[in-house]
Amino acid sequence: MKRNWPAGASALVWLVLVVGPLYFMVAASLRGRADYLTSSPLKPPEDPTLDNYRTVLDGGFGGYLFNNVVVTAATVAIVVLLGVPAAYAVARSPSKLVQRGFTLLLAGLAIPAQATIIPVYLLITRLNLYDSLTAIILPTAAFALPVATLVLTNSLRDVPKELYEAQTIDGASAFGVLRYLVLPLARPAIVTVVVYTALNAWNGFLFPLVLTQSQSSRVLTLGLWNFQGQFGTNVPALLAAVTLSVMPIFVVYLIGRRYLLSGLTAGFGK
Amino acid sequence: MRQRPSFWYAAPAFAFFALFAALPMVLVVLLSFTSWDGLGTPQPNGVDNWARLADDGQARDAVGRTAILMVVSWLVQTPIALLIGVWAAGRQRTRAVLSSIFFLPLLLSTAAIALLWQVMLDPNFGVTQSIGGWLGDVQFLGNPSIVLYTVAFVITWQYVPFHTLLYQGAARAIPQTLYEAATIDGAGRVRQFFHITLPQLRYTVITSSILMIVGSLTTFDTVLILTNGGPGAASRIAPLHMYITGFSGFEMGYASTMAVLLVVVGTGLSLLVMRVTGFRSMTSQQEGA
Amino acid sequence: MFRRSRTHALITMVAMVAVAAACGTSGPSAGSGGGGPFKVWALQDPALNPIEKASAEGAGGTLETFGNDPYKQKLRVAIGSPNAPDVFFNWGGGNLKEYVDADKIVDLTPVLDENPSLKSAFLPSVLDGAKIDGKYYGIPMRGMQPVVLFYNKDVFTAAGATPPTTWDELLALVDKFKAAGVQPISLAGSQAWTELMWIEYLLDRQGGSDVFKNIRDKGPAGWKDPAVLQAATKVKELVDRGGFGTNYASVGYDVGGASTILAQGKAAMHLMGSWEYTNQLQQSPDFVKNGKLGWVAFPTLPGGKGQPGTVVGNSSNYYSITKSSKSVDAAKKFVASGLNDEKYVQSLIDAGDVPAVVGMKEKLAKAPNSEYTTWIYELVEKATVFQLSWDQDLTADQSTKMLTQLQELFLGKVTPQAFVDALAAG
Repeated sequence: MKRNWPAGASALVWLVLVVGPLYFMVAASLRGRADYLTSSPLKPPEDPTLDNYRTVLDGGFGGYLFNNVVVTAATVAIVVLLGVPAAYAVARSPSKLVQRGFTLLLAGLAIPAQATIIPVYLLITRLNLYDSLTAIILPTAAFALPVATLVLTNSLRDVPKELYEAQTIDGASAFGVLRYLVLPLARPAIVTVVVYTALNAWNGFLFPLVLTQSQSSRVLTLGLWNFQGQFGTNVPALLAAVTLSVMPIFVVYLIGRRYLLSGLTAGFGK
Repeated sequence: MRQRPSFWYAAPAFAFFALFAALPMVLVVLLSFTSWDGLGTPQPNGVDNWARLADDGQARDAVGRTAILMVVSWLVQTPIALLIGVWAAGRQRTRAVLSSIFFLPLLLSTAAIALLWQVMLDPNFGVTQSIGGWLGDVQFLGNPSIVLYTVAFVITWQYVPFHTLLYQGAARAIPQTLYEAATIDGAGRVRQFFHITLPQLRYTVITSSILMIVGSLTTFDTVLILTNGGPGAASRIAPLHMYITGFSGFEMGYASTMAVLLVVVGTGLSLLVMRVTGFRSMTSQQEGA
Repeated sequence: MFRRSRTHALITMVAMVAVAAACGTSGPSAGSGGGGPFKVWALQDPALNPIEKASAEGAGGTLETFGNDPYKQKLRVAIGSPNAPDVFFNWGGGNLKEYVDADKIVDLTPVLDENPSLKSAFLPSVLDGAKIDGKYYGIPMRGMQPVVLFYNKDVFTAAGATPPTTWDELLALVDKFKAAGVQPISLAGSQAWTELMWIEYLLDRQGGSDVFKNIRDKGPAGWKDPAVLQAATKVKELVDRGGFGTNYASVGYDVGGASTILAQGKAAMHLMGSWEYTNQLQQSPDFVKNGKLGWVAFPTLPGGKGQPGTVVGNSSNYYSITKSSKSVDAAKKFVASGLNDEKYVQSLIDAGDVPAVVGMKEKLAKAPNSEYTTWIYELVEKATVFQLSWDQDLTADQSTKMLTQLQELFLGKVTPQAFVDALAAG
């Protein structure tokens, strides 16, 4: 393959643009407050300190992280538990109702969550769920369902009909097919859906913003925003919080980069 | 036939979606014909909100800003993502290592990205100050005529990796034989890009464009944290204007009217792009597969 | 038909199951049944929150705090929901009135009637800040917070300047500091309420206190009063003259930017609520302890109709109780104790706050920060009118529109005339 100069050059520029801010973020989070204000942001910190991280951890970070984990796990559980059987039905059910329902679900791809925030707020308060983690989980899961079902359905449709039929001849029930054929075959798609849903839930902002308020139900994204007011001009502490918030996903990226990326482009890539 | 799954397998998912996503969509349409201050119960007020929206200069400005943001972020992101995506599709080791770095912004939440850039661009305590030079004098967040482009830049920083990923995947799927044939015909690198790569990536361009359009139409958290719509209303784009009307002015009926408009415009634009580009025939092909 | 009704029943059933299932997974913070400690909400303030926390917890409650801008939004949303706080911090005025009109707030008049000593403990003008239609809906819980002009004494000394007493002197100082390479006035312009303080004072000095009362009571047409245009024009002159430097539009107060540049001597003056003192004490203790922080009343405007002694700001903050609270009695006891409790009052004073309680002078004189607190107390005591911050005195929708227009005015995006026209149009 020949070299591709214009693309290579833009890749290099992009590299600087990406690495610069991230370097700044990590470096500044290791500086003392005074050091941050006086020294150049590009120099490595002369006297690196973990004090900022301590400040962040003492400031309630652990609680926010825990809430984030709960919200993410519950959302993923709902989406997978509801999405897998639904996709199986869409791929295999003779029922017209299923296909009609699926069309409606796909229409949901076009609804931006932002536009429904007021009625979602109305609904959540009427269900007496306001200011609970449940309030975040329910709409987040609902808005992840269309993409999840689409991805799962596509993967199940790729399964040759003969495989389903062979199982049926062996006398397997519909549930048996789901358990012993669909689940194993759909595993890559399920991983994609889990990652996609988890990222959405993990990074969610609008639903937590409107549907919760107390510190006990605050998730990480809102916690970060709150730190900004709490730390004021203590920029290194704020950046330590931001850095810490990236860590869990960064670890996932190191371990399972392929899965993470597949989940990111769920339903849009090949 | 008994061994095939019944409707009941899909029913829970449909019901869940209906309650927490479809029902709100119906409700937002209903609310758009009411007046509601968030404290009492919504009071029907006919088409008052719609009449007001037609005549609301602030809302029109917000929609205009959204349009600018949409066009700018599309114009900036598409070429960058396309170029880097095609470059990253190469199997060389350096490219693999570098592209794993390119994707790093994907790991940050929107809140984290907005806070990071806000800190860096702060006029008194930011990076631009310490680096100095002409950068220190530019009010990235404080100048009303610059701020929207700053927002577009931050959005670009956040989303280019995502679109790069799309292009990388698609470019890797282009059959190598096409290039080999072209090389034999004596086509140069640039010609190959325009005659093979770009046409082959056509549907990815469309997918990515639709995602960018809908994305910039609904951008919310970036702007809320980065500028809160300021200075003044210079970066108050449509979704933020809706949020402020609803959750700061507590005119929730009127805010719902704006929400309906957002959905209609978003869906309309997506359909338009598909219609103009003949995208539909492709999706149906995929579904048939 | 059969099929449809079955589907409906199914959907309802599944939804209920799903909700129940999700509730089960939502961890320890879900659910907010009756009983348990009552919830108290207050505005974030590093110096005062610990005192309020101790007081709330002592009475069997819990304290939750929020930053300024989110607080106003969160409060309204929460009070519209079944998960409202039991006791909440507010500013009295038109904003509280909206909640009262929606029948959300407990009438505290009986509490005051039962405790004459409580009622007589407050400065009457302060207690009246939460009086709506003849009834009391809030009880003062923090100090009085007039808006005053802070300045950095070192910067003034270096420039050979004295604090301004008139508007013209202020303008002259702007030129002087600009020439010296110092930003004349620090302004957290990304938050509109900081800009509001300027026009509140200017309108009052220019046209007297009735102009705004008219706007509040009789509607947006009141903005057409010529004094509003004159005040807005003065704002524009100050901005154009470079009074606030060039980057005020992206400076925030909550994040500490505006206060820090005053303390660092990058700016000479800062118009802010009296809480700025405790704030500086917390953030830049040396700056305050070394006596470098100065303060004066807002300059007079010779030729204006307003009384020179009028102050604007928050006469106090109040605790109010929501009707939906399940622990109204405990909450009532709590709000009645607060400023009537010697220990609580003393802690506020020690933190540099000035409680709105009668006969404070002696106590203030004995406490730390007495120079400042006594001055604040006298400023308010002498004031003929204490105008509540407009964003609290107007209804939420009016206030949101006004703040938006105000930011546009400070940015020079609208002319003073267009500012008046937009507000008068409602």
